[in-house]
Amino acid sequence: MTPNLHSHWFPIASSTDLVPRHVYQAQLLGREFAVWRADDGYVNVWENRCLHRGVRLSIGINDGRELKCQYHGWRYANRTAGCTYIPAHPADAPARTICNNTYPAREAHGLIWTGEHASGSLPDLGCFADGIVLRPIPLNAPAEMVSESLEGYDSDVFFLVQPCDSNRSIIRGLAKPSKRDRLDLLRYHNFALQELRDHIEGQAASQDTPEPLVPIISQVAAELVDLPVLHTIGRQADFTVTITNKETVAEDVVRLRLESLTSVLPTFQPGAHIDLHLQNGLVRQYSLTNGPGETDHYTIGVKREIESRGGSATIHDHLRVGDNLAISAPRNNFPLRRDAVRTIFIAGGIGVTPLISMAQALNVQGLDFAFHYFVQSETRAAFSQELHAFNEATTFHINLSPHATSEELTHILSDPNPTYHIYVCGPIPMLDATRKIAKKQGWDDEQVHFEYFKNTNKINTEGSFEIDLARSACTFTVSEGQSILEVLRSNGINMPSSCETGACGTCRCGVIAGEIDHQDVYLTDSEKAKGNTIMTCVSRSRSDRLILDI
Amino acid sequence: MLKLYDYELSGNCYKIRLMLSFLDVVHSIESVDFYPGAQHKSPAFLRLNPMGQLPVIEDAGMVLRDAQAILIYLAARYDSQGVWFPRDDPVRLGQIAQWLAFADSITATASVARLHDGLLYSHVDSEAARLGAHKLFRILDEHLYFCEQVEQTWICPGDQPTLADIACFPYVMLSEEGGISRIDYPALRRWCDRFKRIPGFVVMPGIFHAGPGLEASTV
Amino acid sequence: MTVIDSIDPVVRDLWYAVAALDDLDLIDVQESVLLDTPINVCHDTSGGVQCRTELRPLPVCERYGYVWTSLGSPQTDVFSIPEYVEPDRRNIHAATIGVHTSAPRTIENFLDMGHFPYVHTGILGAEPHTEVRDYNVEVSVERDEIVATNCLFWQPMAAAASSSGADVDYIYRVPHPYCAILYKSSPIDDKRLDVIAVFLQPETQEQVRAHMMLSLLDEASTDHQIRLFQQTIFGQDKPILENQFPKRLPLDPRAETPIRADKSAIAYRRWLSDKGITYGVIPAAA
Repeated sequence: MTPNLHSHWFPIASSTDLVPRHVYQAQLLGREFAVWRADDGYVNVWENRCLHRGVRLSIGINDGRELKCQYHGWRYANRTAGCTYIPAHPADAPARTICNNTYPAREAHGLIWTGEHASGSLPDLGCFADGIVLRPIPLNAPAEMVSESLEGYDSDVFFLVQPCDSNRSIIRGLAKPSKRDRLDLLRYHNFALQELRDHIEGQAASQDTPEPLVPIISQVAAELVDLPVLHTIGRQADFTVTITNKETVAEDVVRLRLESLTSVLPTFQPGAHIDLHLQNGLVRQYSLTNGPGETDHYTIGVKREIESRGGSATIHDHLRVGDNLAISAPRNNFPLRRDAVRTIFIAGGIGVTPLISMAQALNVQGLDFAFHYFVQSETRAAFSQELHAFNEATTFHINLSPHATSEELTHILSDPNPTYHIYVCGPIPMLDATRKIAKKQGWDDEQVHFEYFKNTNKINTEGSFEIDLARSACTFTVSEGQSILEVLRSNGINMPSSCETGACGTCRCGVIAGEIDHQDVYLTDSEKAKGNTIMTCVSRSRSDRLILDI
Repeated sequence: MLKLYDYELSGNCYKIRLMLSFLDVVHSIESVDFYPGAQHKSPAFLRLNPMGQLPVIEDAGMVLRDAQAILIYLAARYDSQGVWFPRDDPVRLGQIAQWLAFADSITATASVARLHDGLLYSHVDSEAARLGAHKLFRILDEHLYFCEQVEQTWICPGDQPTLADIACFPYVMLSEEGGISRIDYPALRRWCDRFKRIPGFVVMPGIFHAGPGLEASTV
Repeated sequence: MTVIDSIDPVVRDLWYAVAALDDLDLIDVQESVLLDTPINVCHDTSGGVQCRTELRPLPVCERYGYVWTSLGSPQTDVFSIPEYVEPDRRNIHAATIGVHTSAPRTIENFLDMGHFPYVHTGILGAEPHTEVRDYNVEVSVERDEIVATNCLFWQPMAAAASSSGADVDYIYRVPHPYCAILYKSSPIDDKRLDVIAVFLQPETQEQVRAHMMLSLLDEASTDHQIRLFQQTIFGQDKPILENQFPKRLPLDPRAETPIRADKSAIAYRRWLSDKGITYGVIPAAA
């Protein structure tokens, strides 16, 4: 085998092999593939190996949107092959770099084509381009021997031989369309080719069997080896996307559909947000509202804020279909656990957006949840189509006074259960009320997950203090008016960030010693009390010195 | 109550467990210490089945051995709809009988390779068993491919699976334990997925559930 | 060069369980393979056991209900399982089962809890209870073994008498590159532990025989029920083990993606690397 075969396109399946909710097992030049068609029609050609423990993905489950490994239930997204969930660590968002090996895939002429490094156009099949795909005939013989034996078979059939391994091949044939009955034609060639197969196998058996090919196992990213995974992305615009749809989905709420014209969008997990870099220089965070496996686009819901500082108003008034925007890769600081016996979602107004994505994930997996949506009026209820698809799991609470809202929340949270989890997102008063009520009713801090869209605390930037970087052995001074994040950045330390207002959790950092002056709304009270994590964009030190775990 | 003399890891016993589950027949299980106890060769068991093989059932005072025979009995006795073993059509009856015999051949090859590799039956020729199984799998894959061409879902014609499907499924699905890969049998692999989605399907060690089919999914 | 000369000395000099004494009563001569070398085990005329290759007799000893042998010259005794000799225990040979995979892959699976809900559904785990909580792993220098403690996992049938699930608490030991022992609290005496051990006989680099031994305080179950349970669990692991690629355990830390739940596997791979084990693994590139 010459190595340049890896740059060729080879057929590895018939289109009809990829039935819905099935994982087809293929092999080419020694490497195995798990090949599956998502419900949206996309054909995925992946290495047949879960990158966690090497289990064949062809024994896994295609749920139409994601492929689930049979061994530990790791879920990989349609198209991107990025890992969206690791059940052993339900509270963690998997690192974005946990991504299966994917290979180029084309579907044409009734066949699925791939090649480890294939690029460019498929072979020209001439008058066989619309041919009838014959039943593939696997056989135990080297591809060269098979190709030779097929010469002179029948000029009405065009053959492609798939070299599975050094001594295993598959004969794939396309027959010229003819008046002959299709089934008859399939049967005729099937019979003839099986006869030929037996002949070729006899010939191959009389020769020395070549050693099987050994595919090279590519290494996983180095940063995945040391745990825990560190994020190293700053506030960067990683991608350019195009707005391909903009529609009003409720009063003062538009939904944008964002697509990349040049590359595959990175994997997202339910609860993730992106930074949107607007043309006026503003950067705003929006949660993705996509369901699992919707990986060819991102959707976000944007509410026009009354006191908009130019973010939401710009999106509503000036952005149009066809406009390009820069966005960050998705980050998930609001990860969804899927090990709850029941999950309770509490959404207020536009706070519905991250929860919509989460609930769709649970719905597809058949996990139990309830969705409570508090909204001013029916006309302001966004994403009602998605919410109605959850059937009786969804309850709308329309136009309740603050008092009535509290009563309703008290009712919803009246039965604390240690196996349940609560996710809440909405306006600050409602978030605060929910957290207070939950606490009062006996729910644990760890069971109540929340996301603030913004931090309305007045940030105090008074006083200066020193920060020691434990792992980098540096000491810097944070002066009055500066944030820790700014000081780190100005000293060349790439700390990731997103909202930079203490709401999103991206710039969190471990603290080894020192007393923290928490000013964010991201950490829970008990996390704040532990004193071992700080949001570097807003929080400061009460002591003269903080020792940070970086 | 019907009693099944059973060994959890036996594909032949699994055929009966599948049938009992599909038909929702109330039954009890008498677990036999097949390995390492070799209880199926004990004098007490040989009185039930002089062949010294599992499965055996006792039902209403009758003792019946042989997986395929028991399948026929259960279908005839407990399947009031007559879908698993339809007896009104001589052609289909003949076809089912043909595939039941084929299933016996699968047992004689794929199951033997599995016993050799997994349960240490060192006295059998596992290489011959593997070759034999591959020959049979080629035939079944070809058959199922042409079934798909005429939109036939199951081994025998008709909208419903029959005893032929139950009899063939276990040792096809367990073949990898005998070193028999199914990568070359795509139609067979698809049929296995379809079989796992039959209402009432149960698993055994070595066989996992399929995910939800397209028709069963929610919007 | 013969096969045995190409095997690393660490592996060659280890003791291996190669036959259950119980099984020897059923089959007079047990033929199998150890490290690519065909061997046979049988009773000798004096009632003891003997083990030999085609060419030479091998050292033998009897431990934990099994015949142990070695192709080299073992420097130490078989590792200790002190519980085995306690008078009120039932020691049971559950099964010897052949698997198409390497010994180290089988050990890693034995140490793994995260797969319980997916592979042993309804028995050792069930969704949505999937979390593997932090546990302790240490390599005991003194005993040259890996010990994982405080391994908690939610199980649907934690106690035979209860229908609701609860956490079980496991301890794992790896006292031999191809043997592992699991301890779990006994249902009849919460101060003592039940023992489940797997002794692997690597026939080739990619084929093992797994000998499974239990040492229990259980009084209620029959031997047959206990064996059957163990065979069911192992039977469920089999299709996973036989579908892992590559079959040999890759020791390069970047070959696969570990998570925190895999701490014991990370320690195991490093331990094998440090010992210089080359059989059944793909050594990390120097």
